[in-house]
Amino acid sequence: MRGSDAMPPNSFKDDLVAEIKNLRAFAISLSGSVSLADDLVQETLLRAWSKSDKFQPGTSLRAWLFTILRNIYYSNYRKRAREVQDSEGVFARRVTVSGDQESHLDLEDFRKAMTKLPAEQREVLTLVGASGLSYEEAAAICHVEIGTIKSRLSRARAKLVELLALEETSEGLIERRLRHAG
Amino acid sequence: MKKLNAVESDAQGEAALDSKALEAIGRALRAHYDDLVQAPLPEKFAELLDRLEKKERRGDARKRRHASE
Repeated sequence: MRGSDAMPPNSFKDDLVAEIKNLRAFAISLSGSVSLADDLVQETLLRAWSKSDKFQPGTSLRAWLFTILRNIYYSNYRKRAREVQDSEGVFARRVTVSGDQESHLDLEDFRKAMTKLPAEQREVLTLVGASGLSYEEAAAICHVEIGTIKSRLSRARAKLVELLALEETSEGLIERRLRHAG
Repeated sequence: MKKLNAVESDAQGEAALDSKALEAIGRALRAHYDDLVQAPLPEKFAELLDRLEKKERRGDARKRRHASE
């Protein structure tokens, strides 16, 4: 094999192994819990293995796996996820996201804000904004139109801006507080 | 046509959001995700796939034996 560029094609198993990190990152983002995410990933891998004949070579394995994981999540885990989120600190590490001075964001604050979004918005943020999937792939994974993906995305961003109080002008902030005070 | 309008008004809503805030959100989102992707993986996933692969190979070998009998 050495010196030859005609390497044998990866086996389905190797391709699966290469996707586990992304699958787990999606699962944690979606469920808000590392322990639930690990169960989800385990179940997804089992199902993917047993249904490997359903995968169409040449299409995105990541998108296919995300679809399976998402289906399992909504049919079996969603309720559990809500219970776990309340009682369990989701992420252990504290990291500050670097940026220019005005837009420093603490990653833990960001993650807390993420857990306050509806799952439909969280998943779209993760799929399109972080995992590098296209609008088309996200739409196929979530079984909705591309326009729905786009509107969920903009609602999610607006909500995060609000939760993290990222408005630039203090005037805007004050206005909002006044409105809340009613 | 109706759908197009919905998308357009969302795009306008997004444009109205402060662009620096949106950039910060985008950066935080990627940092959040990259941090998760880079986290060490529990061994159990690779072990599970190893077990499944071995089981399948044993199954195939058995099928071949049956076929040659």
